[in-house]
Amino acid sequence: MQGRYFFPLSARHVEASAAVNGGTLAITGMDGALLASIPMKSVRASSRLGGMRRRLDLPDGDSFDTTDNDAVDRMMRGSGILHRLENSWRVVLVSLVLAGLAATAFALYGVPAAAGWLARHTPPSVATYTAQQTLATLDSIALKDSRLSAARQKHYRALLAQLAARGPRGKDGYRLAFRHAPAIGPNAFALPDGTIVVTDEIIALVKNDDEIEGVFGHEMSHVERAHGLQRVYQASLIPAAIAFVTGDVSQLGQFAAILPGLLLQSAYSRDFEQEADDDSARVMRGMGKSPEALASLLERMEKKICGRKDGCAVGWLGSHPDTAQRAARLRGR
Amino acid sequence: MNTLIDQPPNAAPLRHGFRFEGSGGEYFKIWIVNLALSIATLGIFSAWAKVRSKRYFYGNTYIGEHNFDYHANPLRILVGRVIALTLLLGYSATNHFMPVMTFVWIVFFLFAMPWLLNASLRFNARNSSYRNIRFNFVGTYGGAFQAYVLWSLLAVITLLTTYPLARRARDQYNINNHTFGGKAFHAEIPGWLMYKAYLLGGLLFLCGIVIVICVLLGATLAGLDVKSADPKQPLTMLPMMLVIGVSYMFVLLFLTAFVGTRIFNLALNNTVLADKLRFESSLSALRMGWLVTSNLALTLITLGLYYPWARVRVARYTSENLAVIGASDLDGFSSELFAGQGAIGEEVANFFDVDVGL
Repeated sequence: MQGRYFFPLSARHVEASAAVNGGTLAITGMDGALLASIPMKSVRASSRLGGMRRRLDLPDGDSFDTTDNDAVDRMMRGSGILHRLENSWRVVLVSLVLAGLAATAFALYGVPAAAGWLARHTPPSVATYTAQQTLATLDSIALKDSRLSAARQKHYRALLAQLAARGPRGKDGYRLAFRHAPAIGPNAFALPDGTIVVTDEIIALVKNDDEIEGVFGHEMSHVERAHGLQRVYQASLIPAAIAFVTGDVSQLGQFAAILPGLLLQSAYSRDFEQEADDDSARVMRGMGKSPEALASLLERMEKKICGRKDGCAVGWLGSHPDTAQRAARLRGR
Repeated sequence: MNTLIDQPPNAAPLRHGFRFEGSGGEYFKIWIVNLALSIATLGIFSAWAKVRSKRYFYGNTYIGEHNFDYHANPLRILVGRVIALTLLLGYSATNHFMPVMTFVWIVFFLFAMPWLLNASLRFNARNSSYRNIRFNFVGTYGGAFQAYVLWSLLAVITLLTTYPLARRARDQYNINNHTFGGKAFHAEIPGWLMYKAYLLGGLLFLCGIVIVICVLLGATLAGLDVKSADPKQPLTMLPMMLVIGVSYMFVLLFLTAFVGTRIFNLALNNTVLADKLRFESSLSALRMGWLVTSNLALTLITLGLYYPWARVRVARYTSENLAVIGASDLDGFSSELFAGQGAIGEEVANFFDVDVGL
């Protein structure tokens, strides 16, 4: 085969031809002079890739390169498995399907399973520490001391203890914290260590004890199922996995992963909310009460926050499902 | 070599352009098959995939009749990846759970970074070649610490006013410690041109903000209440924020590409190899900004399938605008300059010579 012979450790080269004879590679110049003669076993050929030039590395730092890929393949007895795979449209198609399926499975099952496993195996001390840090941060930026009277606080604590006694964490498994939150409005949230924070604004909106019990049931579910910790793990898992599998930290790759990552996380978040609603409904029914209370409170919250009863209509962008949908599900079961 | 008559010693220097000969379609097949193999092996094969990708881009980049080449051993990349992934997971875990520990990590990174960086640059250089001659990287820990850590700290202390100089220190450190066939690269970038690049980027950013404000203002004046919550067509806070977030992402990418391209031009146009060969980069920063933002849009729309074409597009445009300027007979010149003792790349890479990075 025709090609170029590069002298040892040099950019100097001449036109040459290479041939194998009895296990020895002989490289001859155009004038017929023998340039190199090397046993085939010490010749390293670069693997075939696209239509690229092929290089034979010789032991003394000399090399031979050629466009005659087929001749190199004959010499090395094959083009290598990778090139054969990359050149088959059938394999390309299968790869495409596999990549699509893997991405879907990763999103649907992989991330939730991994985040769930990690969350279940997180030591309680870590959960406590995280919760304290989160609450301290929120306290410094958005929350103020509650203006609720001590008697009212005591009343709600008793309600929570009564509800908690029915759950796996027991009567003292949760800690209720009251905060005044003008910036957040009527809301409640749970921290991984069992702290449930309710705002004065949501208490003001509540019409009866059933409603706040529905809220407690919802937040207790977030704690028991470690939804908060799972969200933390999801946020780290998605980019790490994408980077590790694709091996791409180019700017384009990083930017392209942001949006799907965010959409995926809001989807998981909506699943968590639905799960918590379902658990709340189950607890309420178990006490012979109706989930209707939580449904109507959600609608009132929505009206207060968005100014409308049928929700802010954020659909697949939101961290919570549509309020109308949530209310219907709570009532329907 | 094949000239009919001897070249006069002072022959006018010639421009030898780069060119890229790969194609999107060809790279797509390579990319998707290697991606599938990486997935099937839970990421282990991705080190091999990376080498194949890199070889494709190096091997299809030509100056004259010669292409670049990439020789890395995928196993070393795998080791580097495992190190990087461990650091990343460790960091993000402590960041979430023990924010206090973040400070310890930052100190650790500050001192480990020059070492990791040199290892990666050395690995990459030693595994790159052109015309049978290897590149090398000879930077020291002290040099990297000064260029990357001290200059960055100074930039922070001076409220980023010296950031362009810090960037220059980094670029010059990277270029000046690379060698090709034992001959040094040398770059001296004028500081005021660095400031100019960043100021232009800043101006462009302000223009972007003004345009957005004008559009919002115009819409309000035209009687469209942007915040209205029409029950039929709800335009609420969250989608609004998403629209702003996505445009911000595109603007940010455009600006990074814009400033990055201007600095790339600056660095290359002020680089000399072996005191004899100059480089020329005539990339348009606006064109590159458009290229990367349209690439991002197309990649998102096609659910990632456009990605191989995007990379080829950038490689082709970059190559078309790069050139080496030197002897009219580059062939004969290179043969003479890059031969003999100095050309020996350090064959035995030490154990820690790994490509640390994902």
